[in-house]
This record gives sequence, structure tokens and C-alpha cells, in this order.
Amino acid sequence: MTANAFTRQSFAGLPAGSGGALPALTLVGLFFIVPVVALLLRSVTDPEPGLQNYAALFGSGTYVRVFLNTFLVAAVVTAVTIVVAFPVAWMLAIMPPALGSIVFGIILLSMWTNLLTRTYAWMVLLQRTGVINRTLMGLGIIHEPLPLINNLTGVTIGMVYIMLPFMILPLVGTLRAIDPMTLRAAALCGASPLQAFRRILLPLSLPGIAAGGLMVFVMSLGYFVTPALLGGTSNMMLAEMIAQTVQSLLNWGLGSAAAFVLLVVTMVLYAIQLRMVGARRLAGGL
Amino acid sequence: MLLDYDRLGWLRAALAGFTALVAAFLLLPVIFIVLLSFGSSRWLAFPPPGWTLKWYQELLADPAWIGAALTSAKIAAMAAILAVLIGLLASFSLVRGEFRGRQILRGLLLTPMVLPVVVFAIAIYAFFLRIGLAGTTIGFVMAHTILALPFAIIPITAALEGFDKSIEDAAIVCGASPLQARLRITLPSIRIGIFSAAIFSFLASWDEVVVAIFMASPTLQTLPVKIWGSLRADLSPVVAAASSLLVGLTLCLMIVTALLRRKLSR
Repeated sequence: MTANAFTRQSFAGLPAGSGGALPALTLVGLFFIVPVVALLLRSVTDPEPGLQNYAALFGSGTYVRVFLNTFLVAAVVTAVTIVVAFPVAWMLAIMPPALGSIVFGIILLSMWTNLLTRTYAWMVLLQRTGVINRTLMGLGIIHEPLPLINNLTGVTIGMVYIMLPFMILPLVGTLRAIDPMTLRAAALCGASPLQAFRRILLPLSLPGIAAGGLMVFVMSLGYFVTPALLGGTSNMMLAEMIAQTVQSLLNWGLGSAAAFVLLVVTMVLYAIQLRMVGARRLAGGL
Repeated sequence: MLLDYDRLGWLRAALAGFTALVAAFLLLPVIFIVLLSFGSSRWLAFPPPGWTLKWYQELLADPAWIGAALTSAKIAAMAAILAVLIGLLASFSLVRGEFRGRQILRGLLLTPMVLPVVVFAIAIYAFFLRIGLAGTTIGFVMAHTILALPFAIIPITAALEGFDKSIEDAAIVCGASPLQARLRITLPSIRIGIFSAAIFSFLASWDEVVVAIFMASPTLQTLPVKIWGSLRADLSPVVAAASSLLVGLTLCLMIVTALLRRKLSR
């Protein structure tokens, strides 16, 4: 089997060179495609054939609120991540490599650290008696502890923390690919720094911002762990709702329908992103 | 001017200051947890009133924590080995195969990385409930191999694309069998890719929470499931100790990766 897969000859009527992909294809087919398709079928057959699960999903104020809240959180997280990531990526793109590698090291350490560990840190930091509230009260800035956890604020802080590396790293690539000469030319022609930023730097980095932003948005839409631990019950997100519907309520039909909605939205946005990145590569090749 | 480090003027100070702030934002929670794990306050007061190792002692004396860590290591090792082997075979097809639908196949094999993991988690959970693999080690390994596979395929295909196939052909011309040429010429040449694949796919399983929460049974718990359970119950400092050990492991892996990459690429 191994020898066959390694040689280039076709066997069993398979096209040349495709044999090596067979084990992967079998595995993904059996343990990925079959389960996901079965789940989606369940959304229209459980408990009885029909679209009643989707009707329940879109007809109930509770579930519609979960959808809206999910989009709201993902949008806020994406916007904050872009605003915070851009200056950092800008600095990293031009700063001396020796200094830059320290910042890169910190970014990678944070990115590689266990997700639960990072979320746990924020749970402790943001709680009522946590360091942040105590420090602010000690400085006399606030007199009552701020509600930083179990609400949108907590989710946003925790999610931005996790998403930042995914925005910074690709953006550095985009900014490095911009020719500094274009900006020098703008300055020579009399553009103020603000004009050069708005008319040259920002438009040229827009493809990177859009691609990275879309990725962060898509990842945020389906995020489970951080919203479940830092968010409150009143602003539940879609992934947590799906998990609860299936695990606690054992309502597989409804859970599958919600999963299908999440899957479709994710895949559509992902396709848009692929097209954008592809288009950018095309433009880069010209 | 805006992209010239030396001619940014005041803007450079502003950008540098902001970058330092963000770097601190990224680093502080990690350091904070490590400091807290040595603090003597059960209620996680900071700065700690005193320093102690008792949370580590409590952690290491608890068979449930040790068992969970061992289960995680076992499952992650098996998933990583499977993902690298299967991913290696698939990468040869994806890079060198001449068949229609190659790009579609690549997209398909990478889909588990983009699909929201909660969708996959309930799908595979329902499937395993039906075929009797729920709560078993095999089921765990299979589910994690699916999630790890993209992390194996991406670095290996990248390495293979950067490898000049004429070197392999030269070996065959000199009398090596195609299999020999691949095992003794190609594989050593793409070892950095294979090594990255092993690390990434191990971590993909080791850190995985969502599928694990569904797959876990009272007798089969991975470390993330154990941490998840503790976090939902209370914010015990024992979790800080466990987290600090995980941070230590991350640091070790980063250093080993950097060193090995330097050594291998020489």
C-alpha cells in the first residue's frame, strides 16, 4: 500500500498521482463529510420531515436575538481588532528586525499559549475584585467596580486578545509589499502625512485589511470557548446556543438547523475571502 | 515617508509607543497567570500576599489532573502521527499529482480548519453516538486527526513545492528505486515541513476544547476538558498552576522549534 501510494503509477484505474490522497480522502469522507451531511439532514428530518426547525429558529425572538448578538459581537471584535492591529503591523513592517523580532516573539507566544489559559487569565483580570477594577479604584478613577465580565465588554476584550495575531501577521505582509517609494513620491509632490496616509497608504493596505478582517469576522462568528466563559447569559452567541441546544436540551433538530445556518454563513464569507485574496494575488502579479 | 523608519519623525514615537502597549497587552495575561500560580491567596488576590508552591503540589498530587494530562498527550501523539503520515501521502498527490479536481481536493482536505469547530463537534458527536465510538479513545483520535490534518498538509505541501524534483529524478537515474529516492532524498529535504507539521498537528489536538467537551466521558478526559470543568466551577489557583505549566510547555516548544529550524536549515 505504502509503496503503491509512493509511486507515480496509477493503480486500480485511479488517475495518475492521486493514490496518495486516498487515505486522507477516506478519513475526511468518513469522519467529516458523512457526519456533517447527516447533521444537516437531521435539521429537516428531526423530529419529523419538514422545515419546522428553521421556522422555530427564525420565528422566535430568543433565537433571532442570538443571531443578531453574534453578528454584533463579531462586528465589534473585527472593528476593534483592525484599529488596534494596523499601527502595530505598520511599525513591525518598517522597524529594525532585531527589535521587531522581540515583538514577533511576544505575538507568537500569546498565539501559541493554550486558549483556555488565556481566557482564564482574562476571567481573573476582569472580575469584580480583579486587578483592573482594583487598580482603577485605587487610583480613584472609579468608585464602584466596573462590570467588565459576563457582558459584551468582557467578550470583546477576550476575543480581540485572541484575534490580534491573526490580523497583525498578514497585515505586516501587506504593508511590507508596499513600495516606500510611492509614499516618498507623495511627500515630494507636497502631500501632507495625513494626505499620504489617507490617499496612498490606507488604500494600498485595504486588500490586506479586508482579507484579515473577514477572517477575524468569520472566526468570531463561530467562536465558542471565549464567549461562553467571558460572556453573560443575556448575550449568548450562536456557537454556545448550538452546543446548549444539543447538549442540555437534547433538541437535535433545532441545534442542527442553527449549525446549518452557521455553516452556510461561514462558507459564503470564506468564499468571498478566497476570491479577494486570489484577486489580490492577481493584482500583485501584474 | 510613511514607510521610512528613519524619516517618520514624531509619528515613529507614537507608533512605537502604541506597539509597546499592544505587546504589553499580549504579554501581560500570560505573565500574570504565571505569577498568580505562585501566589498564596486562594481568592487570587494580586499582588499575592505571599509566595507558595502549594498549588503545584495540589496539582501534581491529584490523579485526575495527571490522568487528564496523560490522556491528552496520548491522544495528541496518536492524532499527530496519523495526521503527519496521511498528510504526507496526500501532499505528494496534491503537489505532484496530475488529475482533475486537485484544487477541489486540496480545498476539501483543508475545510476542517475553516468550518466552525462547534458544527463539527456536534456532527461527529452524533455520528459517534450512532456507531458506538462516543467517549472512546479511538473516536477521540479520529476526530482530532481530522482537525489536525490541515495543520499537517499546509507545511508539508509548502515544503514539497519548494523542493526541486529533478534532484529526486537524478537519484532514480543513478539507480535508486522511486521509493528509495523518495525516502532517502526527498523526505530528508522536506524535514522542516514534516517537523512543523508534527508540532502543529500535536498542538491542534492538545489544545482542542470544543470537540473534546462533547467526546469526553467521566472516564476519558483530556486536559482542556479538565480545565474547562474547573473554570465553570470556580477560579481555583490550581488552574493557574496547570496553566503555567502549559505556558512553560509552549515556551519550550517555541525554543525547540527555533533551534531545530536553525539547525535543520543549515
